[in-house]
Amino acid sequence: MTSATARRFRRLSPDRVKELILLGIIVGSVVVFGSFVDGYLSGRFFNRVTTSVVIVAILAAAQALVIFSRNIDLSVGSTVGVSAYLTADFLTANTWANPVVAMIIAMAVGAVLGSLNGLLVAYGRVPAIIVTLGTLAIFRTLISLYSGGANVLAGDLPDWVLGFNNLTVLSIAGFDLRLVFVIAVAVVVILQWALRRLRVGRRLYAIGSNPEAARQAGLAAPRLIMVSFVGAGALAGLAGFMFMVRAGTISATAGSGLELESVAAAVVGGVSIFGGSGTMFGAFLGAILIDTLELSLVRVPEVSEFWRDAALGILILLAVILDATLQRRFTRRLTREVRGPDATDQQSSDRSLSSVVGGGPVDE
Amino acid sequence: MVVLAITIVINVLLSPFYFGVDNFINLFWLSNEKIIVVVIMTFVIISGEIDLSVASVMGFSAAVMATVHQTGSFPLVVAILAGLGAGAIAGLLQGWVITRFALPSLVVTLAGLIGFRGAARVILEDESVGDFPAWFDAMGQQTLLGPLPVALVIFFVGLALAWITLERGAFGRKVYVIGNNADVARFSGVAVDSVKLRLFVTSGLVAGLAGILFAARLGSVRGSLAEFFELDIITMVLLGGVSIFGGSGTMFGVALAVFTVLNIRNGLGLANVDGIIQTGVIGVLLIASVLLPNLARRLGQVSARRRATAQAPP
Amino acid sequence: MDEVRPFFEIEGVSKRFDATQALSDVSLDLIPGEVHGLVGENGAGKSTLIKIMTGIYAPDAGRMLLDDEEYLPHDAARAQLQGVAAIYQEPSIFPDLTVAENIFIGHQDRGRLVNWKTMMSDAGEILRTLDMDTDPSMPAAGLTVAGQQGVEIAKAISLDIRVLIMDEPTAALSAHEVDRLFGQVRRLKDSGVAVLFITHRLDELFVICDRISVFRDGRHISTRGVADVNEDSLVREMVGRDPSEFFARGEHVEGDVVLRVDKLNTVGKFADVSFEVRRGEVLGFAGLVGAGRTDVALALFGIEPADDGTIELEGQMIEVASPEHALAHGIAYLSEDRRNLGLSLNQSVSANITLATLARYTTRLGMVDRGAELTDAEALSERLDIKTPDMDTPVANLSGGNQQKTMLAKWLNAEPRVLILDEPTRGIDVGAKADVHNYIDELARSGIAIIVISSDLPEVLAMSDRIAVMREGRLRAIFTKAEATQERVMESAVGVS
Repeated sequence: MTSATARRFRRLSPDRVKELILLGIIVGSVVVFGSFVDGYLSGRFFNRVTTSVVIVAILAAAQALVIFSRNIDLSVGSTVGVSAYLTADFLTANTWANPVVAMIIAMAVGAVLGSLNGLLVAYGRVPAIIVTLGTLAIFRTLISLYSGGANVLAGDLPDWVLGFNNLTVLSIAGFDLRLVFVIAVAVVVILQWALRRLRVGRRLYAIGSNPEAARQAGLAAPRLIMVSFVGAGALAGLAGFMFMVRAGTISATAGSGLELESVAAAVVGGVSIFGGSGTMFGAFLGAILIDTLELSLVRVPEVSEFWRDAALGILILLAVILDATLQRRFTRRLTREVRGPDATDQQSSDRSLSSVVGGGPVDE
Repeated sequence: MVVLAITIVINVLLSPFYFGVDNFINLFWLSNEKIIVVVIMTFVIISGEIDLSVASVMGFSAAVMATVHQTGSFPLVVAILAGLGAGAIAGLLQGWVITRFALPSLVVTLAGLIGFRGAARVILEDESVGDFPAWFDAMGQQTLLGPLPVALVIFFVGLALAWITLERGAFGRKVYVIGNNADVARFSGVAVDSVKLRLFVTSGLVAGLAGILFAARLGSVRGSLAEFFELDIITMVLLGGVSIFGGSGTMFGVALAVFTVLNIRNGLGLANVDGIIQTGVIGVLLIASVLLPNLARRLGQVSARRRATAQAPP
Repeated sequence: MDEVRPFFEIEGVSKRFDATQALSDVSLDLIPGEVHGLVGENGAGKSTLIKIMTGIYAPDAGRMLLDDEEYLPHDAARAQLQGVAAIYQEPSIFPDLTVAENIFIGHQDRGRLVNWKTMMSDAGEILRTLDMDTDPSMPAAGLTVAGQQGVEIAKAISLDIRVLIMDEPTAALSAHEVDRLFGQVRRLKDSGVAVLFITHRLDELFVICDRISVFRDGRHISTRGVADVNEDSLVREMVGRDPSEFFARGEHVEGDVVLRVDKLNTVGKFADVSFEVRRGEVLGFAGLVGAGRTDVALALFGIEPADDGTIELEGQMIEVASPEHALAHGIAYLSEDRRNLGLSLNQSVSANITLATLARYTTRLGMVDRGAELTDAEALSERLDIKTPDMDTPVANLSGGNQQKTMLAKWLNAEPRVLILDEPTRGIDVGAKADVHNYIDELARSGIAIIVISSDLPEVLAMSDRIAVMREGRLRAIFTKAEATQERVMESAVGVS
């Protein structure tokens, strides 16, 4: 890296750098794959990616929201299932309802579930990983009881549901801009703005960056954490709506496993699991990257579809290693600039689990 | 502990045969192999780390074993060793990445969870591999020592060893210190990275063993073997009083938690309650196990403060 | 002296914790624009007072007045809103947020939306008045301790804090940074802020304070103008007895060279460091913060092994690639960051004492020999006079002083041949300092070669047999006791020829 480029990089915040790298990798892989896979750079592929990424992209945003304050939400998958099922159920009984009503219901369901998480983490002082591990099971149980084993059938849903996924806002030479994708992008943009410009957004980051200092500064952490979980729940509800329009038939096991994907997407997107750093946009790019790679690998005839998860695992590892080394080098360069070459680099690396899981008992 | 007593009482009420040996074995039936992993997970969490990949490694090892066996050119014993080796390597890989790059174990083992499950699928694709020699199936399904099947014997032996190591052993001491404050450990000459690496390798190895035993019981191996088991395993450890932050917890507590969870599942199963709902109950229990002491402590503080201000001179 | 009325008053405040009466009927007042020094031994009640002033604790008795109105905040945030804040030794900042955000976070009055441009320029302005050229858009993670403190002061200014409590602010600062801090404090003075300045470094008081209060055993002993006191009078009031002779090492026997270091080198940290230490000798390491002394110690202890150079212990070349190696060879290191790096708080006293020497108590089967462990732990506990109900008590329950002794016991148990002490008396009050110096002398007499890293010049001069001075990563000079004077050492540390 030339010194001029290095200097320009120094001007950019680490978040911007990460986003640019992600964008670069996405573009790069598209180029690489485009070169040896037939029909890759086609509208059809673009449409596939943009529609399939929607659910995980929204969930990644939800997860990021919670992770920024040094928490985690492992129940998003179950929330997706619950909201998808309940919304679908509602629609079969109320076929007059239009998409907007459905979305509102889905998000409301999610918000309610999220508020339970929020209450327990923020006011019960139970670590987020434990709460959401529990609610993961509890929500699943509730919907299992409610459904009594019955599925909601696609045939019983209003007609618009099944076509919703394909609704297109704009179409250029076969490259469709699907409505669901637009919604996802809108969500990300709004959240990105909110976290950047709203004071409460900055406080969320502060809580994750140094929970103890946040408490002393009177940043009303419990309320903010509550809000972040409710928000994540609402987003998971929206993802449930997206799930419904994609799947049609909903069973009580809908959404299983999505929570891990959402964490993976956020992490690949540069959101630090310790909280305090990363962006919504990054999480979104992370989801896109994962989805693009998955769908690309499938198209390479030599690679069997079963490589999907294995590759994803490797990808996450690389992303985290890269992120950690970048972070360290950035801090070291900063430190060296500020303190001079003799500064002692004695950092106690608190990389153990305790600083990750969030909501822990801060000295009582 | 109170909960355990309650569940036992309920169970006895439900079935007059509760105290029979058969039923005792039955208690464990569904979770024979899981609980072996719980033992090593206790160590991992006390040291301040976590291993989300255990269930996937179970599947991965079983898949390796099944494939090696299927080629026909190796005796099953070799295949089993290969499976165990695969588990150990999985643990080694993750442990190395965690210690070498100082990365959070939550994220690395999350990658492992996804990756090794994927690897299992790559190996087996959509097929199911069965056709094992009789002695293999027997190992999983028949009894070995008195009424106890192999897996249970291993569990109890492992539990005893782990207990001794954790409470009395030097290794256990180190695990506690590392979980308490890894830097203090390092500055006191404890080989933190080496201990952590050993923990992860052991975790992978034990997961591999559990996976193979599970396959033996089922009689066949699929890529989805042991899917989602990790949550159950971690829940049992946390329920046993091990702090998610590391540095505290006892093997005794975990043993109690295992027993409690099994009782609950057994009891609910007898009452014909669905598996998913059972998991929900366990979820409630998990949250309550941390929430209730928290609330109790805060109520205690509030009343203490009230008492104090009441005593202050007007 | 003009009669300015105090605007902040503490009257008859008392506070008790279980069996300890932390504060008894304490009174203090603050005049706008004054720097009010507060001194006292550890345990004199200073930190309790701070916590009461900032609303973390409520007093059992007495009251506080701010502008003649009752002042009793519920928590630190509310205290801040009313204009009272504290800055501690370890400043608390948000490393991932920018410097500007750190300054303005928590401001209620600036509206819902963040205006980045004005925030950056406002931050820049405040920083400039504080003589800091830090870029406000930089993540706060890159700041030094001095920089972080500056940000906290900037925060106080932006919040219109009227009473700023500074608890040991100079502990981790270099001389240059201390100067800048004093400049910042003066600026606060000029804008009418009252600063409560708490320090163990008595010489600083005379540079910056207007009045000085002394606390002892939870009581307010005196408040006098700076012109009416001197160090001796202060120490006498702090300690309640005549100050003992400042400890100076007397006659002793020195043995052979135990440790010989030759051309130790680590890129970016230190270069060409060579010295030797003898049995029974105390080698002081003087120098400014950042000169590289701790880096050398970390290299000797195996935390950050040197790139090249040799280490010879009792005539044999050794490799120190890890702390285990170091301990196995008999090199021990007491870190300057005692709170985080000294003890495993959840564990028992005996477990902590044997922590560095576990191998000794491990049987062939890997079990810990509890009997032997208990014997050794009790022996050391007696020798160092550690007050604890029993050996199984978690060290978290011990008082600060006893925790320190437990840490020392841990290292003594390792029976080191070389003991490196990094800032052993930082944050320790005058009375206890003398104790520590006595220990060091005793340890040396028992045959251990001791290296003491210290930024306290008088201490280094009194304690050491020879003084090595480092500057910018290089060893500039080694003075014998006879040659060393404060001026010479300082000049060498700073680089004046």
